[in-house]
Parts: sequence; structure tokens; C-alpha cells
Amino acid sequence: MLTAELLASSLRMAVPILLTAIGAVYTERSGIVNIGLEGMMIVGSFWASVGAYFYGPFVGILFAMLAGAFLALIHSVTTVTFGVNQVVSGVALNILAYGASRFLSLVIFGKATTSHHVSGFSPIDVPILSDIPFLKLLFTDISPIVITALILVPISKYIIDNTVFGLRLRAVGENPLAADTLGINVFAMRYAGVIISGMLAGMAGAYLTMEHTGMYVEGMTQGKGYIAMAAMIFGNWTPTGTLWASLLFGFAEALSLRAGEGSIIPYQFIKMIPYLLTLAVLTGIVKKATPPAASGEPYDRSIG
Amino acid sequence: MKRDRNYKILALKIAAPVIAMILAALISSLIILAIDKNPLQVFYTMFKFSFSRLDSIAIIFFNATPLIFSALAVSIGFKMGLFNIGIEGQYLIGTFLAALVGFSLKGLPAAIHLPLVIMAGIAGGMLWSFIPIFLKVKRGVHEVISTIMLNYVAYSLIHYLIADVFKDKQQSLVEGLGSVLVRTPKLAESALIPKMHGFLSIFGIQLPKHVYLNWFFPIGILLAVGIYYLVSYTPFGYELRAVGHNPEASKIAGIKPDIVYLKGFLLSGAVAGLVGLSDLLGYFKYMDMDFPQGYGFDGIAVALIAQNNPFGIIASAMLFGFLKRGSEGIQALLKVPMDTIVILQSLMIIFIVVITKIINDYVKRLEKKEAA
Repeated sequence: MLTAELLASSLRMAVPILLTAIGAVYTERSGIVNIGLEGMMIVGSFWASVGAYFYGPFVGILFAMLAGAFLALIHSVTTVTFGVNQVVSGVALNILAYGASRFLSLVIFGKATTSHHVSGFSPIDVPILSDIPFLKLLFTDISPIVITALILVPISKYIIDNTVFGLRLRAVGENPLAADTLGINVFAMRYAGVIISGMLAGMAGAYLTMEHTGMYVEGMTQGKGYIAMAAMIFGNWTPTGTLWASLLFGFAEALSLRAGEGSIIPYQFIKMIPYLLTLAVLTGIVKKATPPAASGEPYDRSIG
Repeated sequence: MKRDRNYKILALKIAAPVIAMILAALISSLIILAIDKNPLQVFYTMFKFSFSRLDSIAIIFFNATPLIFSALAVSIGFKMGLFNIGIEGQYLIGTFLAALVGFSLKGLPAAIHLPLVIMAGIAGGMLWSFIPIFLKVKRGVHEVISTIMLNYVAYSLIHYLIADVFKDKQQSLVEGLGSVLVRTPKLAESALIPKMHGFLSIFGIQLPKHVYLNWFFPIGILLAVGIYYLVSYTPFGYELRAVGHNPEASKIAGIKPDIVYLKGFLLSGAVAGLVGLSDLLGYFKYMDMDFPQGYGFDGIAVALIAQNNPFGIIASAMLFGFLKRGSEGIQALLKVPMDTIVILQSLMIIFIVVITKIINDYVKRLEKKEAA
């Protein structure tokens, strides 16, 4: 029973990482590095509390995705249109998200660090899966956002691998000049990739606020935006790989919560697992990482 | 013609941060208007609160101290085209090692203990910067990703060391608090950095006790001068700039980029190791999990506004020190959230990079036109 419980907890921990990491796949495949995902999660978690508190969970998630998309739009303007350093822009957006959320929280809720309590979606049981004894605990009473996140994995895989949109997205991420020559609008594709990532990171923030904690708390993302980037790298820039990586990282987090006093491995070391694994992947110890060729490179027609 | 152009470029370089500040201030004004406050009154209060008293100016200097070190560390990376986003982790490790040397050695004279503590901080920063640069040079791992990962590893590691290994068990229980604080033991007196009060009183400047301005501030200024000299006038500085400008071309000039990366990044880490020491040795005197975070990211902003010029870094660190002080003023006196200033700072970064980019493109076009 303990193991099923641990798995259920791992899944819950994995969802915000997974949603953001799928978003990271879109932006990176289009050739834009988005360090601002952490900030987009933060604004998502805050705006979800505003929407859910005043108008209910659907508006909560809508506000969260719009807020994430708005930050992503700024990132697109600076990095795609102006071609500035993508890491610098992301760092600035993370600071902006932190400051803006504290500011608005103070103005709207009267406290800089927490919102009022909000209610999320009513939990649902997944048909068929919740009837299987071993999977019962995993698939009963779960948030619809969890199911959305899981469904987004095959959908994203299909979109990226098999649709015209996906082909163009990959083309501008691998070789923007060649894509441009073929008449693909490099700038539009990159805007699309970045904004999708912002919407998904916003949704991940909404999950934390509405489904996980029941309120917005400052710092509740705890660097999950960065873990999501790690999951995307560990998943080798693919939606399916990202799913396994997110589950693994979620498991590590669930485990670190359980490892209390007197456990053999201190929980702080379990918390390091996602970061150390990602470093191991990047160094080629675990497997070879193959990022998109033009990731991080601004595209400028005049230099081409 | 060429002379004219150089003046034009210099003027644009100075104009860029000014324009960025004005734009950021304008947008912040809209935000302030949206909460029914008067932006002019807010900015006036910031200046008045910050500059009308001597102790307040000294607090600005104290606020600027860690940012000078942090921005210098960032700028060394930028000079050679590398992004050291790992200063957060580097100064956490540096601060911890400094604290360790500070509380575990006892009975040393300050003249020996304090330098040892500072060297421990430098060593910690170098250690944590060695990992990413080693991985980059040997394995081609991008330094941005590896340093972000290492920031979090450092945080967990320090948490473990403070909470489980070196937690101060000698503390007396605080009244009304159930358990002792999770922090290291207090550092020995001989490990602490003296305040500047005594020195300044020679000039008739009397600072009150609640000001913590210490000798790390002049050390930071001297370091900025040293780094300016190193980058501008030494062979190593030339190599740094050559690699930063074009690593492939520098190879043809006989420079080994990997060696330069390694040395430069270790230097950046060494400076990063000093970031937390003004707070540790001049204010807290112990380390806990609430030790200030974010200096690494603020340092990126400070370095960008200064366009990596060491003297510009001193000025823009002061600007940030003033913004922090002023933000406390507007919250206390006008009930305007101090986070308005955090928003202002982030907008400044965005505007500065966009404007600099536009100016650089313009200068490039200018050069092309002249060549044609």
C-alpha cells in the first residue's frame, strides 16, 4: 500500500514539472532558450489564485495561462524580434514575475506572500483505470489537470513529430536560415513556441495553487521551472522522454518529503537527484544529449 | 571621421542606461498611478529618504557592497563570452566555508584569522566554479545549464551542512520559542570584519551603531580597480577579451581558449566567493538558511547596466543600493509596496539589453557604411 501511495504522490509532484517541461520542449525545439519558465510558473500560480478566488477554477486556470503567455510574449519580443541574449531576458522576467506577484498580492489580498484560500476543480475518477486494483489509488480522486498533463504528452508528440506546425517548429530550431529560404516564417514559429511554453508553465502554476496547496504562497514554485528545464534535457527534448524524466524527478521529490529524521540518506541529498542526473546526462555519463542545433542562437536575416 | 564616430559611440553607450532608466521609471509610474499614488511623490520620497541623512547614505554603501563583488564576477564571465549564472551557488559555498573557518578556529589573532576566513570564501567560490568550467572544457556542457543545476545542488548541500552537521547546539533557548535556531555557531570575534566607523570618525563623520558599513566596501572598490587593470592592460586580460570576441580567431593568434576559459571562470568564482562575506562577517556573524539570496541575479543586472565596465559597476551597484534603501522608504512612509522597485529593476534590465542591442546594430551599420 505504501508503494502505491508513494507512486500517487510522485505523480502529483510530477505534474507541474511535466506541464512546464512539455512547454520547454516547444520553446527549445523552436530555438529559443526560456529560463523565464520559472517566472511564468510564478505568475501562473499567482493569477490562478486571483481568478479562482473571484470567479472559480476555470477562470483561475485561464488567468494563469494568460499571465504565463504575457510574460512569454515579452520574452518573444526581446529574444526573437530584438535578438537579445535569451538567458538575460529570462533572468529579467524571473525577477519581474517575483516582484509583480508580491506587489499584486499585497494590492489584491493585502499580504505580499499569500493569497486567500481558493478551491480547485472537483477531483474525478478515471474510468476503467480506477477499477484496476493496483492502479486504484493512482487514478481515483485526481485533479483534471493531472489527466490533462498526461494527455498532453501523446498530443504534443503527435504535433511535434507529425504535423506541419511541428515540422516547421523543428525546422526553425535546427536551421532557421534554411527554413526561412523555404518560406517558413521563422519569427512567427518562434513566437508560437515561446508562447505555448508560457501558457503551459502558467497552467503548471495554476495546478500548484488550485490543486496542490489551495492558495498562492510566495516561492511555492521552489525552482520547479528549472527542474522542468532539467526534465526536458533529461528527456532529450522530446515529450515522451520528458514524461519519464518528470515522473522520475517527481518520485525523487515525493521520496525527499518522506525521508524524515533518521533516514539513511538525508532528504537534502534526495532533493539533489534531478540536478545531478541532469548534469550526468549532459556530460554523457548516462546517455548522449542532442539539443536542437540552433537553440539559443538569435536569428538575424541581415547576418543569416 | 573616425574620431567623430568614436565620440558618437561613447555618447550612445552612456545614453543607453539613462534611456533604460527613464523608460523603466515611466512604466513604474503607471503602476504607481494604478494604485492611486503619486509617482512624483514616490520618487521624491525615495531620494529624500535615502540622501537626507548620513547614516542612510552609509546604508546605501553597505547595500552596494555584495553587488559590487557579484557584478564584477559576472562581468569577468561576460568579457570572455561566458555566462556565469552560478554566482548564487558559488557565494553560498564560499560563505559557508568562510563561516566554517570562522567558527571552528579559535584563539587566533584577527590579523591571521580574518585573512584565512576570506581565503576560505574565495576557495569555496572557486571550487563551485571549477565544476561547471571543467565540464564545459572537457565535455562541452553549456555553463548556463550546469551552473543553474549546481545552484540548487549547493542550496541543498548547505542546508544539509547547516541543519544536520554543523548546527549550533550551544545556543540557549529563546524565550517563547520551542527549539533552537537552525544555524551555524557564531563566528569568533577574530574572524569578523571591522566596521568603517572608526576610520570615518577621523574625518568627522559619525555613523550610528545600526549602520553595518564595513571594510569590504573599500575592498570591493579596490578589486574593481584591479580587475579594470587586469582586463585592460595585462596579457591575460587581452586573452580574455580576444576569446570573448571570437574564440576561433583567438586560436589563430596562438591563444588556447580552453585555458583562458578555465582561468577566467575560476577568477570569476573567486570573486563570487566574496559576495556574501560583507553580510556574514559584518552583519549576521553566523550562517542560516535565511542568508540573503539573489545577489547573483542582481549582479547580472548591475553588470549589464554598467556594460561590464568595473567603474560603471561601482556606480550601478550604488544605484541598486539606493533603490533598495529607497524602496524601504516608500513602503514605510507612503505605503507603496517596496516590490514596485523590484519591478523597476527588472524593467531596467529588459530595456538596457534591448537598447544596447539596437545601438550595437546601429554602430555596426555605421562601420559598414564607412568601410564601403
